[in-house]
Amino acid sequence: MASSDTFAYLRSRYFPDHLVGEILSKRWIDNAIPFSALVLTVVVLGAVIPDFLSISSLSDLARQFAEFGLVVLALTVVMISGGIDLSVASVFSLAVLFSLIGINVYELPVPVVLVGIVVMGMGCGAINGILVGYLRLRAFLTTLVSLIIFRSIYEIVFVRMSTSIMSGFSMSDMWLFIGEGTIFGVPTSLVITLAIALAWHLILSRMRPGWRLTAVGGARRSAFNAGIDVRFMVFLTYVVSSAMCALAGFLFAARLGSTGSDTGVGLEVQALTAAVLGGTAIGGGRGSVAKAIIGSLLVLMLTNGLINLGISGPITSTILGGILLFAVFVDMRWQKHRHRILAKVYVSPAYLALPPAPKVDAPGSPYVLNDRLRSVEIIGLGEIEGPEDVILDRDDNLYCGTRHGDIVRFFGPDHKRSEVFAHIGGHPLGMAFDRAGNLLVCIGGMGLFQVAPDKTVTKLTDETNRSWTSVVDDSRLRLADDVDVAPDGRIYFSEATIRYEQEDWATDALESRPSGRIICYDPRTGKTNTEIPKLVFANGVAMCADGQSFMFAESWTCSISRYYFDGPKKGQTEKVLSNLPGYPDNINRASDGNYWLALLGMRGPALDLALRMPGFRKRMARRVAPDQWLYPNINTGCVVKFNEKGEILDNLWDLGGLNHPMITSMREHKGWLYLGGVSNNRIGRYRLPDADPNWCAQDAYWGPRP
Amino acid sequence: MIGAIKRAWANFRGFDLTGSTVPPMDGPLRPNAKLDGFPVLLKLDDVDNLTAAGGRILCSVGADLLTLSEDGSAQGLSVASTETLGGTITAIAASGDLVAVAIEGEGIRLEGQGPARLLEAGRRNRACVTALAFADSGTLFVAVGSDRHPAREWKRDLMTKTAAGSVWRVDLDTGAAVEIASGLAFPAGIAVSGGRVFVSEAWRHRVVAMGADGSGRRTVLDRLPAYPGRIVPAAGGGFWLAMFAPRNPLVEFVLKEDAYRERMIGTIEPDYWIAPSLVTGRSFLEPIQGGARKKLNMLKPWSPTWSTGLVVRCGDDMAMLRSYQSRADGEVHGVTSICETGGRLLAGAKGSGRIVAIDEPAETT
Repeated sequence: MASSDTFAYLRSRYFPDHLVGEILSKRWIDNAIPFSALVLTVVVLGAVIPDFLSISSLSDLARQFAEFGLVVLALTVVMISGGIDLSVASVFSLAVLFSLIGINVYELPVPVVLVGIVVMGMGCGAINGILVGYLRLRAFLTTLVSLIIFRSIYEIVFVRMSTSIMSGFSMSDMWLFIGEGTIFGVPTSLVITLAIALAWHLILSRMRPGWRLTAVGGARRSAFNAGIDVRFMVFLTYVVSSAMCALAGFLFAARLGSTGSDTGVGLEVQALTAAVLGGTAIGGGRGSVAKAIIGSLLVLMLTNGLINLGISGPITSTILGGILLFAVFVDMRWQKHRHRILAKVYVSPAYLALPPAPKVDAPGSPYVLNDRLRSVEIIGLGEIEGPEDVILDRDDNLYCGTRHGDIVRFFGPDHKRSEVFAHIGGHPLGMAFDRAGNLLVCIGGMGLFQVAPDKTVTKLTDETNRSWTSVVDDSRLRLADDVDVAPDGRIYFSEATIRYEQEDWATDALESRPSGRIICYDPRTGKTNTEIPKLVFANGVAMCADGQSFMFAESWTCSISRYYFDGPKKGQTEKVLSNLPGYPDNINRASDGNYWLALLGMRGPALDLALRMPGFRKRMARRVAPDQWLYPNINTGCVVKFNEKGEILDNLWDLGGLNHPMITSMREHKGWLYLGGVSNNRIGRYRLPDADPNWCAQDAYWGPRP
Repeated sequence: MIGAIKRAWANFRGFDLTGSTVPPMDGPLRPNAKLDGFPVLLKLDDVDNLTAAGGRILCSVGADLLTLSEDGSAQGLSVASTETLGGTITAIAASGDLVAVAIEGEGIRLEGQGPARLLEAGRRNRACVTALAFADSGTLFVAVGSDRHPAREWKRDLMTKTAAGSVWRVDLDTGAAVEIASGLAFPAGIAVSGGRVFVSEAWRHRVVAMGADGSGRRTVLDRLPAYPGRIVPAAGGGFWLAMFAPRNPLVEFVLKEDAYRERMIGTIEPDYWIAPSLVTGRSFLEPIQGGARKKLNMLKPWSPTWSTGLVVRCGDDMAMLRSYQSRADGEVHGVTSICETGGRLLAGAKGSGRIVAIDEPAETT
């Protein structure tokens, strides 16, 4: 191994290049920049200001955060739905004022005041909501006007009541508990806010109302077309937002017990800064509780820090304004370039050294080039697109999947007529019959499905166990590929890769990273679990005759292995064939006890060399357009027959790929070999001269018809 | 230092400082499939150096010099006679009865003026005379593609980024040869018109013009999306330019990847390189690109490809006027030579091994 190869091998083995793209593709990555800004702020202010991180200062911060965070959260909810609420500050100050009037002046019970204040907030919000949601006024202008009106009400009432508020005093324990008490050392108000934040987090990320809210903000018209009551949703956001602001005002009143003429002035700008700084989009459709919390902590710490440093109020405001501007700028650039960066860095090739490919035209080679597949009979030309796998039942009916999401059935024995046997929606790939005659089918992007003979479709599984070390969610089935059934009914199927969707399967070849696996679904328990992890594009699966093991193909390493799931060798994997001249796809049984193997494409020396140079492929993925990338040559395919000892017995070729550019599957049935290809528009049928003319795979697996 | 910063910045922003961005096929090069529509006069593997010499049509296949004659049926061509020479024929030029044939390893053989004789021209590399052009019956211009490689190893010349080509002026009476230009990146075609010498510099994707003594060299056509080859003066004024292979963004990328390129050149047969080619799809060992995967059993015409057919009609100043193309799915790839004879334009596609007649009711320009 050359030293550059050693380095490339070690690097790709131990340095997790692929994580960069996987992390960037996560939704929470949006929070990375605000979060690092927050950490930076804490570190810098903690170093500059003495006592910044002391208990008393933190407790003070916590209580401020309880109120301010609630306001920011309120604004965030409105912004996610595509609106904006400038009246948050006025509602907040109104709530402060009326809480104090209720408690100090009229000495009402605290719960009554609390309910009254929240209802008042909802009323204020309802005014905004009706104007913006139902009468379709501009959110910005409407809430600007209500900001002014609510503020004026505050000024009018405050002037009349300020003296009696000052002179009044509440002895209520509850009032004191809310304002100054703690629960297990945590300020009461913070507990309240955190509970509300948790509820909102669940609503926004896990529940339908939250998803609808995001949908309304993301694309109003699409949300309407999808049947969401857009106007009501918008109305609701303003009501909820103002109610939360009112609650924040109540907490503020309980903490300070007084109010002044400047209470809540400029709060809306602070809250807006916090929301935008956290990463909530001004245009709607993007935002989360985490963003709101990060943003409000950032703004609070900055403001407090600047005041501690002795910087005057107006200058602090100016600095905050500048930060708002900067945040808007960064947010815009990030949104614009995130996908571009992701597209550039997601492909992360690994080192793969294949031995030199066998020379198929050399004398003595078990591979013999021929054109036997060029003259095959053709079935369904132009009627089907993308029959990745084909399968036949006892009645000679032929089933295949199409990229339109159908399973098409061609009626035997001549296969001239066809019907849509089932429509599932995803591109069906590997297929198998179980003992009861149900058709099991792997569907790219969806999982493992079952179609009963009466055409009813059942989802068997679409998830497996989540592994702890994977950054991409590997519980989801992205590319279930080929399937076969053990005699006891357990279903083994391969998932080619967890890193790419169905359409990008060939890009996985550029990576040649072990990101595929074999998964077992047990219909007796309904449980799914990953049986063999870390395979390089796990592809064909075929049960061996012993009923204790199966053959499986790993495409990019050009090898076939045998895995024992039962019996004395349980859990062991044996290599059967390595260093094939092409990329193996589906494996199926032949009538003579051997196995048919489809090679979906052939190896070429240029790509084999590139596989030893991950850096080259990585730069290629970044600098060259995807259509121009070097790919495995899948324009020529072939079918080979092999036995359990790993000997090549027969070859069928279509050189130049006139009829079958790529062959991804083949089935033997009653003396014929049927050929499918994932990007072909036909099925081929080749007469096998020496095969058993009565052999049917379904009988061979499950015995004659019951 | 400043250069390094510039390169780093260009790398970060994705600018192209090296001219390696392949220009789009646009303007006169708008894609068409006209070459595939023209009648095939003769199928002849490896046909090269199609030349009109007096009334005859000459061409070469390896070391064989063939004379073609029109079929009785008036349309097709057939091989009238074959003469096997001492080495691969790399270029032919004719002026009246005077015929110059460049033979790999021997030199340039001159016929038609008394007994055939060998010229001493192109002293540096006799194996790589890529093009010949008569200025008059006493002067021959010789393009030597590269000092380092024989003409048939043009792929290696490109992929090793060689620029060791030269142009010579040979006085046929005295045999004296003068180098009028050197350091060219594979001059693959040469034509003399109006006292100026036009040379296509393949690896720099351009055509340069210079005086008969090499003075006043300037670029007349550049930023081509393909590698320009032979140039032939057209009867109606202007030129015909054959571009033998298309440029490809992946090839341009590999040209910048020194480590990969060296290992590729060192360990892989040239037919299977990531490199332009005269013909593609002959073996499954050839590399393919993502866009060239067949979908629904069809190779799309716009697929990225290592080879195409491209003949361009150029004006007096070498400005491109219109083009005849065979695209990725076409059958007339790797056009290396063109000749005008009897009112017809013949294009010899060395890659696909056929001669087609371009007989469009011409001048719609």
